[in-house]
Amino acid sequence: MRLLPARGGTRARTVTRLFAGHLARGLAMIWAVTTVSFVIIRNIPGNPVLGQYETLIQRGMAPDEAQRMTAALYGFMPTGSLWDQYTGYITALLHGDLGQSLSTPGTEVTTLIGAAAQWTVLPVLAGTLLSFLLGVTLGVYAGIKRSGRLGDVLSISGSLLHGVPQYVTGLLMMAIFATLWPIFPAGGPVDVEFVPGFNAGYLASLVHHATLPVLTYALASYGGWVLAMKSSVATVLGDDFILAAELRGMSRGLLFRYVARNAILPLFTILALSLGMLFGGAIFIERIFNYPGLGLLLVNSIGTRDYALMGGTFLVTTIAIIVANIAADLLYAVIDPRVRTGGAA
Amino acid sequence: MTLTISLPGRRDERGGRVSPRRAFWRGVGRVLRRKRGRVVGVAILALFAAMATVGPLLYPANLPRDDNALYAAPSLAHPFGTDFEGTDVLALVVTGARYVILTGLATAIITVALGTTLGLLAGLHRGRWDTVLMRITDLQLTIPGLPLLLVLSTVWKFESPLEMGLVLGLLGWGGVARAVRSQTLSLRERGFVEAARGLGLSSTHIVGRELLPSMAPYIAMNVLIAVTGAIYAQVGLFFLGVLPFESNNWGVMLNLAVFGGGALTTPAALPYLLAPLLAILLLTLGIVLVVDAMDEIFNPRLRED
Amino acid sequence: MTIDLKGYGDDASTATLARAPGVRVRDLTVVYRTPLGELPALGGVSLTIEPGTITGIVGESGSGKSTLALSLLNAVQPPGRIASGSVEIDGLGDVVGLAGEELRRARGRHLGYVFQAAQNSLNPLKTVGKQVLDLGRSHGVADPRALLREARALLERMGLDGGRVLDSHQHQLSGGMRQRVGIMLALVLNAHLVILDEPTTALDMITQSTILRIVREVHQERGLTTLMVTHDIGVAAEVTDHLAVMYGGRVVEHGPTMRVLGAPSHPYTQGLIRAIPRLSGDPSEARALPGRPPTLGTLPVGGCVFRERCPERMAVCETVDPPRVTHGERTVACHAVEQAHDRAETAGYGPHRLDTANHRTGREELT
Repeated sequence: MRLLPARGGTRARTVTRLFAGHLARGLAMIWAVTTVSFVIIRNIPGNPVLGQYETLIQRGMAPDEAQRMTAALYGFMPTGSLWDQYTGYITALLHGDLGQSLSTPGTEVTTLIGAAAQWTVLPVLAGTLLSFLLGVTLGVYAGIKRSGRLGDVLSISGSLLHGVPQYVTGLLMMAIFATLWPIFPAGGPVDVEFVPGFNAGYLASLVHHATLPVLTYALASYGGWVLAMKSSVATVLGDDFILAAELRGMSRGLLFRYVARNAILPLFTILALSLGMLFGGAIFIERIFNYPGLGLLLVNSIGTRDYALMGGTFLVTTIAIIVANIAADLLYAVIDPRVRTGGAA
Repeated sequence: MTLTISLPGRRDERGGRVSPRRAFWRGVGRVLRRKRGRVVGVAILALFAAMATVGPLLYPANLPRDDNALYAAPSLAHPFGTDFEGTDVLALVVTGARYVILTGLATAIITVALGTTLGLLAGLHRGRWDTVLMRITDLQLTIPGLPLLLVLSTVWKFESPLEMGLVLGLLGWGGVARAVRSQTLSLRERGFVEAARGLGLSSTHIVGRELLPSMAPYIAMNVLIAVTGAIYAQVGLFFLGVLPFESNNWGVMLNLAVFGGGALTTPAALPYLLAPLLAILLLTLGIVLVVDAMDEIFNPRLRED
Repeated sequence: MTIDLKGYGDDASTATLARAPGVRVRDLTVVYRTPLGELPALGGVSLTIEPGTITGIVGESGSGKSTLALSLLNAVQPPGRIASGSVEIDGLGDVVGLAGEELRRARGRHLGYVFQAAQNSLNPLKTVGKQVLDLGRSHGVADPRALLREARALLERMGLDGGRVLDSHQHQLSGGMRQRVGIMLALVLNAHLVILDEPTTALDMITQSTILRIVREVHQERGLTTLMVTHDIGVAAEVTDHLAVMYGGRVVEHGPTMRVLGAPSHPYTQGLIRAIPRLSGDPSEARALPGRPPTLGTLPVGGCVFRERCPERMAVCETVDPPRVTHGERTVACHAVEQAHDRAETAGYGPHRLDTANHRTGREELT
């Protein structure tokens, strides 16, 4: 009856294999996304890349130089076969070259994206953390007291907040806390009178401006956590091992921990999905609060028909989400002993 | 000789076998009775359906403007006030519902068709089909839909609600496909498919008579969720102003109120902003209540009797 | 908490036998809330379990045997609840009256419960050893190391590599190993009343007999009172010394295993034995019980619950619930048996008995 699987080497190998699998999947997705992005930019009505090239030629530029200039602007060759254009595009991407912005002439797209990223990443993370803590705590309660009145209220309010699109939440927050009862600024990342840097006035202004966006992120995803945790808790509560632990006289505190830990585990996979959802939300939230993050960058690039910037922003955010997804899957694998130790669940 | 493979139909209280469909409707009745709020949900959805069908007939094709009452405060004549041109906001919300809901319906049809077909295919023909389809579904679920829609809007002008629904449906079938696949797999595991094959029933019969009826409510629930997403995405695109304003709808109202009317700086324009928001909130509430009821019908574990 | 492991064996069993508790269940009624109102799953069960015995509780599914097992821990799961009656356990008093911390402390310390092997009774995220420690913490065990030593000794007693099992997660253990871990967890806090719910269901034959042997040996060595719920009469015949037969939420017959199986009195028990060829002796004589076992909703109200399937049905069965009547070691609840008994008494004969069948090999299941 010595049926225990071998340890040590196998475990390391399982994790490596898992990692390699996720990596391959992620790379395939990234490749698919870049291709989609290429196809879209290639098919924009009026072909702006070719248009730019022709304009330059008309201004008397040599075809070679016009070709190079256009490629620098768009990271995209204006002429040549589809295959050449495609490989050119991919090569430029591999060199980290996303072209130059048209709306802010002379600036690399990567620079603009780098500057905008912090205004998206930090508020999104702060909002996610806040809503995760709040949502999971209340979700446990809603899961345990499913038929109670408070449990009902939590579920319905959770579903509502989860169901309502972020722009509705954002607009309502704005209308209430910036228009009707103006205790927070109506937009922008920081008041202009402060010198950027590590001084109290600037930091306070940053926090003041970030409050409504962060709260909106938190409210938008809070409902999802409540619902996910509630249903996860309901499932775990029905599991035999909980009854078994209860019948062994396990203390309430430990029993609660058994439930909570087992219930929270599947939520890590949702964490990744929620990041994607929050980025979608970032587009609205940054537009509403005039917050200079990646979402606003994307919307503005469309408004100004700055295609290199648009393509670059789309690509970078999508890749970031794919990477976050893989990271979450791996995190899950590390936390769950069933995956970690290579046992068949 | 009639051979019927009974799906997991419930036994009714008297111990007789009832058809899954009748048991289903009985379950619906019970769940609706248990919490009154759910009836409200059904009523709200009915209200919006009515708005979309007969709403535009209640008003003239060109809504009257009242130049003397720009941004008028809510009154008896204008329950939600007027917009920047003096048009009644309530009329705008009611007439705008058709575009919004038509898009939702178009999305629903495409989502059901694509999601169910692909989900069934993946579930019934395991192996390579399954792997490929699920990879595509994964990809579709991973790529954030809204940025993709924004980028697509530069290539494709979504001119009619149907076109809009087509695009949203093409981007949104993943969830339904995955749900259908997992349901198919679980029915397979319980041996229904093999049993039916063993009796020499055709694939069409198995799918049409055995699998789909037992999955229909589950699909319906997922479709309802997909439709909600489509409505929000569409209103959101108009709100962001990346689509040309072809007709009146809630998204256009939001955009004009916020970025044109300054609803967020002048409280006078607030009712203009709040009316479409309220419509969306109400629609969400209706859908949440109905989905909650459906969830309890199909997910007995959440019940706590 | 340290226990002298070398003391295990026959000497120890006589020494600890005094600690094995007796159990007296009185008029226990458990009801389940359903859309049709509250329906009884146990209808006034009375059962006395002598200290130090292994009692089997057999019956078809829906007979209430699992509900009875859970009642001994006052752990009937909602929508069920104990409506009336008492469960007296030596050293604990009436369990039905216990609640909160008192009840929690009784579970595990005094009452050990072993789940069906197919059920996952372990936290999938923690090693077995950590769960033993959690149990120790819950019960205020002063010396966790000693508790772990005891857990390892128990596992080794059951033929496992103790250290390794304590370091394992549930998914790394086979069904038979899990079941032994379950038994270890029921015993590690030194409980002396152990309740096993279908301990061998879903195990292969070899593992089944290993587990049964372990149950019997551990029962002896530790001086336990053991209750084993099973739908498998063969299993019951193999390990138990007393047998309680349940039908429709009632104990219809109770007595020493050999005598209940060898000379069943209640028509239901007779039917059961007759349905199993290897118990009845002649395969051609094997006859299935007519009709179906009752469910909560189809249970007859008033009168004998078995009357609809009973070959010896009489007028009185329709209206009067047969009382339990004890003759010596045996208790039966049946009007027909009672009348036969009365007639035999007056005629000067003892109660009728069937010939003893070869019941030790039988492993047929009731369904």
